[in-house]
Amino acid sequence: MDNLAELLHGFTIAVTVPHLALMVVGVLLGILVGVLPGLGAPNGVSLLLPLTFGMQPVSAIILLSSMYWGALFGGSVTSILFNIPGEPSSVATTFDGYPMARDGRPTTALATAFGSAAIGALVGVILITFLASWVAEVALAFGPAEYFAVYFLAFASFVGMGGAAPIKTVVALAIGFAIAAIGIDTVSGSVRLTMGVDELVKGVSFVVAVMGLFGIGELLVAVEEEFHARAVSSKIDWAEVFRAVGRLPRHGVALLRSAAIGCWMGITPGGPTAASFMSYGIARRFSRRGRYFGTGEVEGIISPETADHAAGTSALLPMLSLGIPGSATAAVMMGGLMIWGLNPGPMLFVDQKDFVWGLIASMYVGNIVAVALVLLTVPVFAALMRIPFVVIAPLIVIICVVGAYSVSNSYLDVVMMLGFGVVGYLFKKLFYPLAPLVLAIVIGDKAEDAFRQSMLMSRGSLGIFFANKLVTCLIVAGIALLLLPLVLQLARLWRKPASAAAETTAQEKVII
Amino acid sequence: MISRRTLELATAILTGGFGVAVVVQSLDNGIGWSSAGVDAGTFPFLTGIIIVVGSLYNLVRGVLPVATLANVPIAITPIELRRLAGLFVPAAIFVAAIPLAGMYVASALYVFAVLAIPRHQSVPRALTMAGATAFALYVVFERAFQVSLPHGALAAALGF
Amino acid sequence: MGRTSIFSLSAAVTVLAGTMPALAAWQPQKPIEFVATAGPGGGTDNLARAVQNIITKHKLTEQPIVVVNKGGGSGAEGYVYGKASAGDPYKVIFGTSNAWQQPLVSKVAFNYTDLTPVAAMAQDEFLLWVKQDAPYKNAGDYLKAAASGEFKMGGAQSKDTDEVLTRMIEKVGKVKLTYIPFKSGAETAVQLAGGHLDSHVNNPSESLGQWRGGTQRPLCVFSPKRLPQGAKVTASEGWGDVPTCVEQGLDIKQYEQPRTVWLPGKVTPDQAAFYVDLMKKVQATPEWKDYIEKTSQVDTFLTGAEFDKFIKEDLEHVKQVAGEQGWLVK
Repeated sequence: MDNLAELLHGFTIAVTVPHLALMVVGVLLGILVGVLPGLGAPNGVSLLLPLTFGMQPVSAIILLSSMYWGALFGGSVTSILFNIPGEPSSVATTFDGYPMARDGRPTTALATAFGSAAIGALVGVILITFLASWVAEVALAFGPAEYFAVYFLAFASFVGMGGAAPIKTVVALAIGFAIAAIGIDTVSGSVRLTMGVDELVKGVSFVVAVMGLFGIGELLVAVEEEFHARAVSSKIDWAEVFRAVGRLPRHGVALLRSAAIGCWMGITPGGPTAASFMSYGIARRFSRRGRYFGTGEVEGIISPETADHAAGTSALLPMLSLGIPGSATAAVMMGGLMIWGLNPGPMLFVDQKDFVWGLIASMYVGNIVAVALVLLTVPVFAALMRIPFVVIAPLIVIICVVGAYSVSNSYLDVVMMLGFGVVGYLFKKLFYPLAPLVLAIVIGDKAEDAFRQSMLMSRGSLGIFFANKLVTCLIVAGIALLLLPLVLQLARLWRKPASAAAETTAQEKVII
Repeated sequence: MISRRTLELATAILTGGFGVAVVVQSLDNGIGWSSAGVDAGTFPFLTGIIIVVGSLYNLVRGVLPVATLANVPIAITPIELRRLAGLFVPAAIFVAAIPLAGMYVASALYVFAVLAIPRHQSVPRALTMAGATAFALYVVFERAFQVSLPHGALAAALGF
Repeated sequence: MGRTSIFSLSAAVTVLAGTMPALAAWQPQKPIEFVATAGPGGGTDNLARAVQNIITKHKLTEQPIVVVNKGGGSGAEGYVYGKASAGDPYKVIFGTSNAWQQPLVSKVAFNYTDLTPVAAMAQDEFLLWVKQDAPYKNAGDYLKAAASGEFKMGGAQSKDTDEVLTRMIEKVGKVKLTYIPFKSGAETAVQLAGGHLDSHVNNPSESLGQWRGGTQRPLCVFSPKRLPQGAKVTASEGWGDVPTCVEQGLDIKQYEQPRTVWLPGKVTPDQAAFYVDLMKKVQATPEWKDYIEKTSQVDTFLTGAEFDKFIKEDLEHVKQVAGEQGWLVK
């Protein structure tokens, strides 16, 4: 248990008054940038970075990583309250979080999300603490073929479920892939699908698509159905915060499963987004209350949130030990490491023990500080739901416009965002599923790159996907997950052919 | 009044049109799969074809009076259409005004217009909210996080 | 410290002078935007932020500076933005040789002639890297092995500097390599460490941590003479111990990646001169030396006719390679 001794030493570095103060400052700032769509952890980190040059590297990284935790928590707030996911990894939280909040339970939804997120993050840190060297080795085993297999697995676990008409699902998925392909292609270096618009060479940002599809689209649906006649009555209820957190252990299985999926996807190159989608998909398939998912189920919030944070945390490990940043924020932090004179890489754990273990210890403390602070803010955020719709609607429009603009200071993005809003409304109205479309936008091009890199390596042969045990297992698991719903459907048809058709009609109501 | 059928048709034509554009564009990049790897246009081409075929299917399903779709013959009633327009049209005007008026002025005018014109709020309150919105945007983005939002052609002409 | 005060003094003087427009050269009157044609954390982004920090710290201009990332489309996003901002002297674009290479090989909507060149500020070197436990000890062995096998060479981006160099190695060394493009040099380095590739041609900073960690080692550097010695990287070796490729029989004398600074097109010579001067001041600071050393780059400063000449030569060279490979866009 060498690691345990190192960790205890790390705690002596992390748990000091100045460092705790830095954590509080970092977390609060993180919550702020996380809640405001259009600003994100990368903005905050790059803003603070110059201030940190005079600090000890350990203090600096504690400040920056605390901000990262704060931003991760804050990102779920707008997903749950307004159906606007500020980051790809909190899209899956909207599926049940938003319906629950609309249903008059925003406090429960937020507290559940934060509580399970903290559990996910802690599992991730524990993994880093005890399996750091093993994890680094596992990550090295992933070449392009294995990358593709992981993305395939994420798709397979998510697609093919849900109540939407199959052809509409396929169309939505394909549109997502096409949108992901817009811009410069990594493998060939050529410009694709810009439709004659020069600026599209940069591609279509996920944030632009999601602000429109989810934010504006949902606003249009809400105004049409006259949701707004009643503002959601949510009184400030401190006790409910603790009750909701106290109920979490009842969902122990879901928590553990989601944390495991999250850690796995964080170590392998899947990342938090794929993790949250996959966890939601699997929960929906295996939970006893799976068919109520999408209407405000507790486990529908727990699963993506736990997995998201477990993945987000364990993804910091490849950054430290291999020097590959798992996210834009991690990339900025890595730039910081170099400026502080540290080189991410395998030797960091040997050369800079104080730094590494101070950071790991601060992950434990920082997450606890973050969840405590963020739970305190729940009633404040929940009170936002009491603002009348006529006032909040223009504010949401402005938030989406500013958010879309600030992704890359582009007016074209704002116009596209509004266009996506119309598409989002039409799709919702006509029961096209949005989730496969978003998943394809986020990881579609990565999956394509990995596939084509594999084909370069294997000279065009698909045999590379069965070349070793690891990749074969991943691919087989993916195919099995893909076929499972079909098999179940067939079995159901076999038993009672008549009721199956009626069920599909009924299901049109809950589509994600 | 817009029927469900019209809406299905319009959406299918929209997605189908996008599919055709994708297919045509991807041909520029070359399609093919050889020992030298997969060409850049191959996957976009395939997804384009899938979108076109799927849209055609949805088009046909939308036109035929199939039992599952006949549940809701009317998709959007005139009242609903008016509500939709009431939200979307001001938002579109707001976005269109940004290049000229800049983000701050445009958003203040937008908030004022949607609150005061339908008399949801009194004029002084709407004015206050509009001012507060623009000011908050300025402080948070321009000052605190150094994200510069568009100031607009008018401001540029006035020398800001 | 003396230098600092002289700078702030001169800055103050120039600001004073700025209020008398008839006398002074051009001075910025509003915030300046630094456009990095790379995502956060990339080499170009680090340069833009380092320059920003130095300017702010030494108060080399009174106006605030904001760094914006426009790294979409391998940097094309930033250059297109620069082209669209013609005549605007408050946008400074930080890039690489991409500015003239990319328009050659892909249909992007800009050319380097749409921009006003300011300077090339630093050169990144290229090295040939193999996995730590690979059997070959020098470039000659590597070429011999590559001639009989199908070697996989990784690199960042397609038809960009890394692939151009790979094709040059093929030609000079009379071998055939399978080039596999990844998103970044860091990702490529990890792929080599995992044994999914046989080699890559990363810049020093992209593989420094990996070399120190014993997952990969450099065979040779594509430079006319060895790199400056500096501190030891591993227990026994530093950058200066890496032989040049020419020494080892791989006859590519020089291949470097310049970090370039541009203004949008149609700015006045006065405005361009202000930024040339500003970058010169940046380069004289101790922080700049520190940045160069930590990122293992080579300090250079090319501007005006010299920079033009460099671009022209490099362009000819890339055109030749691209022509042979059939990459040129019609």
